[in-house]
Amino acid sequence: MTKKCLIITILILCVGLVLTGCPKKTVVKEEPSVKKEEATKAEAERIAKERETKAKEEAAKKTFEDTLVAKKEPGIEGVVFESSLLKDIHFDFDKYDVRLGDVPILKENAALLQKYPKIKIQIEGHCDERGTIEYNLALGERRANSTKNYLVSLGISPERISTISYGKEKPLDPGHHEEAWTKNRRAHTIITAK
Amino acid sequence: MINYFTLVCFVFLIFAPIAEARIYLDINAPTFVQIPIVLTKWKSVGRTPSSLSDKIYEILANDLTLSGFFKVIDIPQLPPPLREKEGVSNERSLQEWVSSGGEILLSGETLLESDGLNFKLKFHLFDLVEQKHIVGKQYEGPLPALRSAVHRIADEVILQITGEKGVHNTKIAYSVLQGSGKEIFIADFDGANIRPLTRNQSINLSPAWSPDGKKIAFTSYLKRNTDLYLIDVDGKNLQRFLSYPGLNASPSWSPDGKQIALMLGMQGKSDIFLVDANGGNPRRLTKGHGNEASPTWSSDGEWIAFVSDRSGSPQIYVMARDGSKVRRLTFEGSYNTNPSWSPKGDRIAFCGRAEGRFHIFTIGSDGSGLRRMTPNSGNNENPCWSPDGRYIAFSSTRTGASKIFIMNANGFNQRSLTSSKGGESGPAWSRRLE
Repeated sequence: MTKKCLIITILILCVGLVLTGCPKKTVVKEEPSVKKEEATKAEAERIAKERETKAKEEAAKKTFEDTLVAKKEPGIEGVVFESSLLKDIHFDFDKYDVRLGDVPILKENAALLQKYPKIKIQIEGHCDERGTIEYNLALGERRANSTKNYLVSLGISPERISTISYGKEKPLDPGHHEEAWTKNRRAHTIITAK
Repeated sequence: MINYFTLVCFVFLIFAPIAEARIYLDINAPTFVQIPIVLTKWKSVGRTPSSLSDKIYEILANDLTLSGFFKVIDIPQLPPPLREKEGVSNERSLQEWVSSGGEILLSGETLLESDGLNFKLKFHLFDLVEQKHIVGKQYEGPLPALRSAVHRIADEVILQITGEKGVHNTKIAYSVLQGSGKEIFIADFDGANIRPLTRNQSINLSPAWSPDGKKIAFTSYLKRNTDLYLIDVDGKNLQRFLSYPGLNASPSWSPDGKQIALMLGMQGKSDIFLVDANGGNPRRLTKGHGNEASPTWSSDGEWIAFVSDRSGSPQIYVMARDGSKVRRLTFEGSYNTNPSWSPKGDRIAFCGRAEGRFHIFTIGSDGSGLRRMTPNSGNNENPCWSPDGRYIAFSSTRTGASKIFIMNANGFNQRSLTSSKGGESGPAWSRRLE
């Protein structure tokens, strides 16, 4: 029994040697040429990637510039720009604190401002139609400033941000219902210099 | 127009009141019954066209109705014309007029001078119950001052009946939606002579009259900041008055005209500040972290009422003129804003939310006696008092788009100022412009 076992073990080992040994030899033989090819390939990929990143950056810049829409409002001095990449945040009724859910929006806005350091913005605080003109002016002032303060906490220089309160004077949606009011309680960003 | 007011001052007391002054109507009572008044057809003397007298009658009837103190009896119910002796109705003819149901009778006449440029107005007021003459006066002046002279007759009638002159020679400034902006307009108390004060296409808000009645302050977005501007009532001399960063809004002159309380946002939120009449020397009156809005002075110049959300919701507070002795005035409701202190000093009107709507309320300056003044229809905002404290102007959406309404201080006689389609807000009442 032990003799039989030994023979089988030897046979298995031999087969194992044959199976593993042969390919190893061929791999070793071909190694130098493959390395060369891989190096050129990686180099090409790196260059391509660099090109791609550059193109992407340029495209992004172009996209940002493409999103700019000039705006001249009657009776208000100067031409300003709006970009769909600078998004509004919204507020609860009679509140001015930045909602947790809107933090990612402000982070995106801040990232864009960091990417384009020449841009100056004005944050407009808006309210829904409920309540009096003057109290809403105060509320809009606070909304604009709490938005500004959040951007400053994300590293944006306060010198780049001015604020203005429109109170309930410039509703986005002129409706007299909850859906319109929700849209109208907002901080909107315009670009005053680019 | 203002120059004419000085020209019309030739007033002759034809007959002094016979008895001691008597108050026919106590308008300070929470409810009062309107006094039925007979207004006889206004006479045209000489070649004076009857159309002129008809116009005078119309203005007078409207003034007396708008005052809320009178029920003007319709002409068709009236007996034949008064028989007169030396220009005054004699007792026997007064007797005939008792059947008209009136308690007071007003008659008068117009004479257009032969130059066609000047007029003379004469009126007599009678007590039909006691069958006696109350007062008679004559006014004269150039034709453009006619309307103002008729208002003075109405004011005189109200003085005789209520013990205090009326406010027919006052004006109301307010904002009107125009395109994407708002312009400031001015109208007479009776809704006549509506004219724009600004024409800049911007958003022009919250007008306030200077104490001398010559200037109006308002907030405008002309320079992409909420700056405070001053303008003469004739639309001249626009001046950018205050332009601190952020809000410059809701000005309220102290009764002596030496200081202005207002909202300034230079600290990153709205606070109540005092500035000198020339705009200099800003002092912050409100401390803490709340939003502070809409200051209004007490008539004695010692106190300022304002809005603060320091308790978590907007409420009305009162503080001394130096910012000390702050006390909360309103405790009912979770949204009370826009206080306006009565010139009589005893009550404060404000806008508060109740039953899902905004209403005009009044409350004693000691916090007692809260009263809701508006019916359950539309939203009612921005109350302001007439200079005599007997009326409140406000904006209301009860008929659709926001319009300026006026009511007696007890809430009676609510009516819209103009026949416009709406878009009106933020009324401010002038002093008596005489």
